[in-house]
Amino acid sequence: MVSIETQELTRSYETYKKAEGLWKSIEGLWARETLQKTALHPTTLRIESGQIVGLVGSNGAGKTTLLKLLSGLIHPTSGSAKVLGFEPASRKPDFLKRISILLGQKNQLWWDLPAADSYDLLGKIYELDRNKTKKRVADLAQMLGCTAQLNVQLRRLSLGERMKMEIIGALLHEPEVLFLDEPTIGLDIISQTTIREFLADYVKERRPTVILTSHYMDDISLLADRLLLISQGQIVFDGAVDDFMARAESRQTLSFKFMQPPEVDLDVLPNLKIAAGTRAVSTELPASEIGEVLKTVMQVSPIQEIKIEEVEFEDVIRQFMQQDTQLRAPRGAATT
Amino acid sequence: MGYGREYYLAYAFWAAFISRISTSWMYETMMIEEVESGSINAILTRPVSFFEYYLGQLMGYKVLTTSASIMVPVVICLFMELPVDLLRLPLALALVFYYLVLVHIISMIIASLGFFFTRIHHLTVAKNITLWMFTGEFFPLDLAPEPFRSWLIALPFSSAVYRPVGYLTGRLDHATIWEGFVSITAGILILGLISSLLWKKGRERYSGTGA
Repeated sequence: MVSIETQELTRSYETYKKAEGLWKSIEGLWARETLQKTALHPTTLRIESGQIVGLVGSNGAGKTTLLKLLSGLIHPTSGSAKVLGFEPASRKPDFLKRISILLGQKNQLWWDLPAADSYDLLGKIYELDRNKTKKRVADLAQMLGCTAQLNVQLRRLSLGERMKMEIIGALLHEPEVLFLDEPTIGLDIISQTTIREFLADYVKERRPTVILTSHYMDDISLLADRLLLISQGQIVFDGAVDDFMARAESRQTLSFKFMQPPEVDLDVLPNLKIAAGTRAVSTELPASEIGEVLKTVMQVSPIQEIKIEEVEFEDVIRQFMQQDTQLRAPRGAATT
Repeated sequence: MGYGREYYLAYAFWAAFISRISTSWMYETMMIEEVESGSINAILTRPVSFFEYYLGQLMGYKVLTTSASIMVPVVICLFMELPVDLLRLPLALALVFYYLVLVHIISMIIASLGFFFTRIHHLTVAKNITLWMFTGEFFPLDLAPEPFRSWLIALPFSSAVYRPVGYLTGRLDHATIWEGFVSITAGILILGLISSLLWKKGRERYSGTGA
């Protein structure tokens, strides 16, 4: 069964250029120079029930715009969307009771209330049974390890604790479709891992349809079955996560320090040269070439410090885009 | 009919009290803030209407504050033996609370403008100053010269202070209160339509900024 379906879904924004000075500001009330920006080019999608889709792309690529359109937060400029058979922008209560959106960079619970009070209020808004809601909150809080913070004012909690509370709030009414926008952004490693594992267990058990955006590849690789790569408002890859990872060349950052700086210039690789006298080197290169580089430089001088790091996910995407010539000219829409 | 000293004092006390009930600063500011900052997203993605969500809060707040403070003007008027018919208080307050629906619709109009303009807080100040002049808080509206007197009294804003206080202090009769209900209903219909159109247009161009 199809949960989410879009047909040439498009969203453009109109902003206006504000000229400097008081008079220009006043003049702007009746004579405005407007700017058009297309945040999402015509997009056609079909997402089956129970599918978990990772939506990735760099900042400003259009990920959040797509989520906002599908959750009914914003209206499309053209095209159409159906989520669970509803047109999202019409905000029918029956639709809103069956979906949930978690915006990782925004508080959706009440800032001055303890989360337990917010859940009570959400229970009323979603017309949930009070006792069942209490039990569900207790269960979810136990899974996330945040029972002790339920009665603490939201504003007094750490970012990680707040995010756990937001997740409980988003799942309280057992949504059939879940939009997760950067659920682990800005969190420490422990909180990221807890939330990631919780979400993995949750989606395995309940099988909601999920669209997840994240800057962390770990989120996507652990949770998603399918990956949508979006660039400049266009979907440029639609397929399995493993396919993407296989096609995107694995790159790492290698950093090291020589005990004794080399006395002559070194040609380590065709695109890696180390000048004489250089002590510290840091470079990004394919994982397969790291061994060869280390072998070469250690013949010159022992190495004092060595560090190998995964490159940023955005860099993987950029690399992927550069590699695949077909993807350099985005095709605009993707279907399954 | 002229205004005697006691009568004017009674009007002044009750006008100050009733005008506090029939004005919305706090919730209007919060509504504007929600639209400007994008925190309205938390409401738009839930099965609750923005209008009802804030109307519920406004009414709840006004009921609580009115209940807690009503004894102050009552005791002052009794102590100073000022003319006031306390049996008329429930109907006078009913008119004021009905007027609050209109006030809330005006707040919706101003908040909806936040979808179109960057900063709209100052509109609340301008609106409230204008309404003060129309409500009868500054002076009883029947002291104004014609034709302004008739216009001011016919407008729904006279139900914020002039009509309920005039009725409470015995200067106006029952019919004036019912005319107030009719006038507010007309205001609700007209401004409600404007509010609904602005909200619809504003939502269409809303970009969910801040989320």
